[in-house]
Amino acid sequence: MELSIDRLTKHYGRKIAVDRVSATLTPGVYGLLGANGAGKTTLMRMLCAILEPTSGEVRLDGKEIAAMGEDYRDVLGYLPQDFGYYPTYTAAEFLSYIAALKGIPRDRADRRVKELLGMLDLSAVADKKIKTFSGGMKQRVGIAQALLNNPQVLILDEPTSGLDPKERVRLRNLLSEYAGDKIVILSTHIVSDVEAIADEVLVMNAGRFIMQGTVVELAEQVRGKVWELTVPREQARFWQEDFTVANYRHEGEQVVLRIISDEEPSPDAAPCDPILDDAYLYQFGAKEA
Amino acid sequence: MELFALEHKRLWRTTRVWLCVLLCFVYSVVWGSVVWNQWPGFGSTNDSTDMYDNNFDGYSNIRGFQEEFSQFGDEWTDETLQKMVAKYQSYDPMNRPGLRSMGDWILASGYLNKLYPELEDPEGQEYQPLIHYVDTTKLTDFYQRRADLLEFTLETTRQNEGMSEADKQMLLDMNSKIKEPWPYEWTQGWSDLSFGWSKMAPYLAIALAFVFSGEWYSNTAPLLHTTKYGWKKLARVKVLGGMAFALEFYLLIAGGKVLVQLIYFGTSGWDLPVQYISLLAVAPWNMLQAELYQLAFGLIGMFGYAGLVMLMSALAKNNVLALVFSLAFVYVPDVLGRYLPKWLMAVSQYLPLVGNSYDYLSYNIFHIFGMSVWSPWMLITVPFLIGVVCIPFAIKGWARRQKV
Repeated sequence: MELSIDRLTKHYGRKIAVDRVSATLTPGVYGLLGANGAGKTTLMRMLCAILEPTSGEVRLDGKEIAAMGEDYRDVLGYLPQDFGYYPTYTAAEFLSYIAALKGIPRDRADRRVKELLGMLDLSAVADKKIKTFSGGMKQRVGIAQALLNNPQVLILDEPTSGLDPKERVRLRNLLSEYAGDKIVILSTHIVSDVEAIADEVLVMNAGRFIMQGTVVELAEQVRGKVWELTVPREQARFWQEDFTVANYRHEGEQVVLRIISDEEPSPDAAPCDPILDDAYLYQFGAKEA
Repeated sequence: MELFALEHKRLWRTTRVWLCVLLCFVYSVVWGSVVWNQWPGFGSTNDSTDMYDNNFDGYSNIRGFQEEFSQFGDEWTDETLQKMVAKYQSYDPMNRPGLRSMGDWILASGYLNKLYPELEDPEGQEYQPLIHYVDTTKLTDFYQRRADLLEFTLETTRQNEGMSEADKQMLLDMNSKIKEPWPYEWTQGWSDLSFGWSKMAPYLAIALAFVFSGEWYSNTAPLLHTTKYGWKKLARVKVLGGMAFALEFYLLIAGGKVLVQLIYFGTSGWDLPVQYISLLAVAPWNMLQAELYQLAFGLIGMFGYAGLVMLMSALAKNNVLALVFSLAFVYVPDVLGRYLPKWLMAVSQYLPLVGNSYDYLSYNIFHIFGMSVWSPWMLITVPFLIGVVCIPFAIKGWARRQKV
């Protein structure tokens, strides 16, 4: 299976939301990283065929997804960023309703709903109305509905937002397990989520992919540009003004700074192994990111 | 089918919807039929002009009237009218039943005023209705007098309101099909056919105005768009669910009212001609046929209005706007009627639930493609067509607005 994105572009009047983006996605987990307004959601909506591109196309195994219509939607699972639900429905009822919309036969849907409620730790609240749920629980219902039809292409827009650390770990594990021979695309602000599960990372800025590769490959791009420097606490502020500081850790009266810089910031600074966060911050700077 | 069942269930389980249905049932059936028949409508009076001073004995009172008026025979002839008036005059003048009591005295009194005006004696019997003093032996030629009055009325309409000779003849031909003598039983029960369909409009609008527009509040568009069946099938299912709801709502209210009618009045009176409602009506229908027409009028009006409401719901992204526009179709012609051009007012009568379900008592005729069509048929055809036309536009409108 192959999802190919070819010079995909979306204009809103004069504003370019997505600008000639191209990529070829094969089974695996893809992490889409980018600041707010980078074009992630617009891109995802075009990948779901709910937004018509201004130009370019998306093909699944050579067939244009817009032309595939119902056939594409049959293999698609989507969690929108602002996931809409019916407040008076219980979790089980809502999932059954979406299952019917996805054309899943009743008996199969019942089994799948039960299974997903268990997988997402919602069994105990299956018969409670969604409007009584916390943000994280609602988000898990949203993830469950995306997985109902066992989709070959799973697109999740900010799936970890609202989830507590335990839930995030659970979701990451679930997606890693699920991916297998499927294409999973998830967008997030949280670099560690992508770092943990993405086979490949796509970094977006101003509607374009500015970085693309595995977590290790991207991190390696900033090798030699990540430094650790221990300074007195009162000096930390000055270092933050002059450099991109990825991390700030107290050690007694001292502060250990993780600095991203092309040049060695100080003779006392020691180079260290880069991680994805560093690569991301190198591109965007601490404030922009 | 499963999606339809789920969507239909979703509609019914909304608090707003079942509350509307419950309120409408209480207002129309419990209050408008049961309590009305038992108390202000048919309860016995206590020498008071206020119907809410009536006793709570409608059921037994109706039985009493049915029994009492059976003494006048089972056909309406000159003799029937004479006997009825004589009976009324036989009561002690101080204790005569009020004309507005649910006896057929008001029917007889109305006939006297219309058909025997020359018998009035304004000088000697000032302020007294004719029925109090008329010489009953002069109450003859009832059907001939009615025919003459009808001819006069139609001729006056022809001369003053532009009715054509052909239209007049068409109405007279209809009238000629009324069998004489008319059967007779106590008339006040089955002649009370009012279903008040226009009162259903706000309930139906509140229930259905949010069918499509409500999805904006739920923010479900991106989700629905990416499911296999997507918005298109869902839109069809929503329309079907809305129509099914309109049918069920209708059956509940109409069925309830018919059941109450049967309990209170029984079947006695179903074959009376509608001329007991309006003396000069030309429709050769009995009460049952008129009631079936009213039921058909209501059913089609409900379907047509449901279509209109769902169209408004699909076109508006706002629940309140959808509701206001839906209600405007019914109430703007009513409220602004006098300010609208005459033709526009006439056209508005063909909107679902707006027209008069008693139009079969009128002389309105339309000319369409050279054919003369009696207006009651138009009143059940046009609202149906409006509903049918609205459906594809509702689906299309929602599709257009679904673009996220």
